[in-house]
Amino acid sequence: MTAPSPKPANADILVVDDVVVRFDTPDGPVTAVDHVSFGVRPGEFLSVIGPSGCGKSTLFNVIGGLLGHTSGVVSVCGETINSPHQSIGMVFQEESTFPWRSVTDNVAFPLELIGMPKAQRIERARHFIALVGLDGFENRYPNELSGGMRQRVSLARTLASEPKILLMDEPFAALDEQTRLLLGDKVLQIQQQLKQTTLLITHNITEAVQMSDRILVMTYRPGKVKRIVDIDLPRPRTSEIVGSEAFGRYVAQIWADLREEASRGMRDEEEHALHQTGAAS
Amino acid sequence: MPASAPVLSPVTLLRLVIILTVLAVWEFLSHSGWLYRDVVPSLLAIGRALFDLLAHGEYYFNLAVTAGEVGTALLLGGTLGLIVGIVLGANRFLSRAFESYLYYLGPTPKIIFFPVMIMWFGVGPGSKIALGTLSCFFPVALSAAAGMRQIDKVLIRVGKSFRASTAQMVFKIYLPAMRHPIINGVRLGLGVALIGTLLAETKLSNKGIGFLIIQAYSIFDMPRMYAMLIVLFILSIGANSVVGRLGGLDSIKRS
Repeated sequence: MTAPSPKPANADILVVDDVVVRFDTPDGPVTAVDHVSFGVRPGEFLSVIGPSGCGKSTLFNVIGGLLGHTSGVVSVCGETINSPHQSIGMVFQEESTFPWRSVTDNVAFPLELIGMPKAQRIERARHFIALVGLDGFENRYPNELSGGMRQRVSLARTLASEPKILLMDEPFAALDEQTRLLLGDKVLQIQQQLKQTTLLITHNITEAVQMSDRILVMTYRPGKVKRIVDIDLPRPRTSEIVGSEAFGRYVAQIWADLREEASRGMRDEEEHALHQTGAAS
Repeated sequence: MPASAPVLSPVTLLRLVIILTVLAVWEFLSHSGWLYRDVVPSLLAIGRALFDLLAHGEYYFNLAVTAGEVGTALLLGGTLGLIVGIVLGANRFLSRAFESYLYYLGPTPKIIFFPVMIMWFGVGPGSKIALGTLSCFFPVALSAAAGMRQIDKVLIRVGKSFRASTAQMVFKIYLPAMRHPIINGVRLGLGVALIGTLLAETKLSNKGIGFLIIQAYSIFDMPRMYAMLIVLFILSIGANSVVGRLGGLDSIKRS
């Protein structure tokens, strides 16, 4: 059923080639990512979508260099990744601002690490704070901001390191639907403005279709590439596109793919729970 | 301003009443003749002794000796505790191997090691510093280890994703993220370092506040002894509030 993985083209800025990630668990080895191959083109917005348990977060950590893989190659601009690479900027799903740093100092963090002079990094930080629409909040602390604003601080912080590839793991998962849509607009606008190559990991179909040039659908455990869908919608886009007919068709098409995987995942989890209660009684 | 706001809050008022009552009872006892001579000296006598104490350089010299001992103990024990705590907090294997010893030794009264310290470091300030260091080490190490484990894991991943060096991870992420437990540990450490040092001074020494107190006791100069206790009490409160202030200022900005 699985479509053959397309051979990554040379023009791709990020290449994931035949990557396998296997974990040892008390119940035996588990394959989280199974022979996944794809490429990301310069300037492209690619989303990886899949049901929970498809290994997409594992993939995020492997591409980010925070997790090792069993076999295969991940490379960015031709360089193989085994540890975090300067060309890749990660935005995490969890709340990740530093509570003891002001917004400016949070955003300037990556610049501080590379030893940029203070005046210069503050100026750079202010630029990116304005870009995510947080001007006026430079001297506030994260606990004075809303969840959506804090996530924008994290985004600005990652953008300040000027990565070639922006790698995001469900950055809006913890936010409410309206904030999520509006933030999606912001991300789209920034992405188009900076021509930022972006790889988004998500389980939200609307979000994926709204933002992506291509969507990679993953299968439930073990995580394989099920299909790659081109999203041929006009740009620039905003969240208004959510109402259009073409949008609805893409959502339906991806849901048809995902539904099979998600229900497989659900059955699997139910069975697992049943076994556990069975063992307990 | 609401008209009903009293000049003194009920809490302050109650405190004042209690303090005045204690002082009144004290003064009554001292004049009653029920107790042996100077066991409860009059407030006036204590006041005079206090003035006498603060007017002479000898007291300040001994105060400086004790302060130096406590300060050195806090610095040594605190630094050592911090390092050990961070290592144990960061490494599950080492923590499982050694941390239980810290919990066993932590509550042990450190004064039982004093004879050993005298043998190793002599009767001078060395053995007092050693005992203070030993006392201070445990609360700081245990708080730092616990603080290390409480750090939000995603912050560590953020640091790694930006390719922070080990030193940058320690100084820009670990330490600021665990500053509350550390300050708490230092506060506890200061308390026990003070106890350890003074206790050691009262046992065997030739200078320091503990020595002066025991000296006053041995010649039964009770007003002087009480005067020293009062000064020491006030100094301890001051030192504790300075350390607490460090943590307090920060927590306003945090949440």
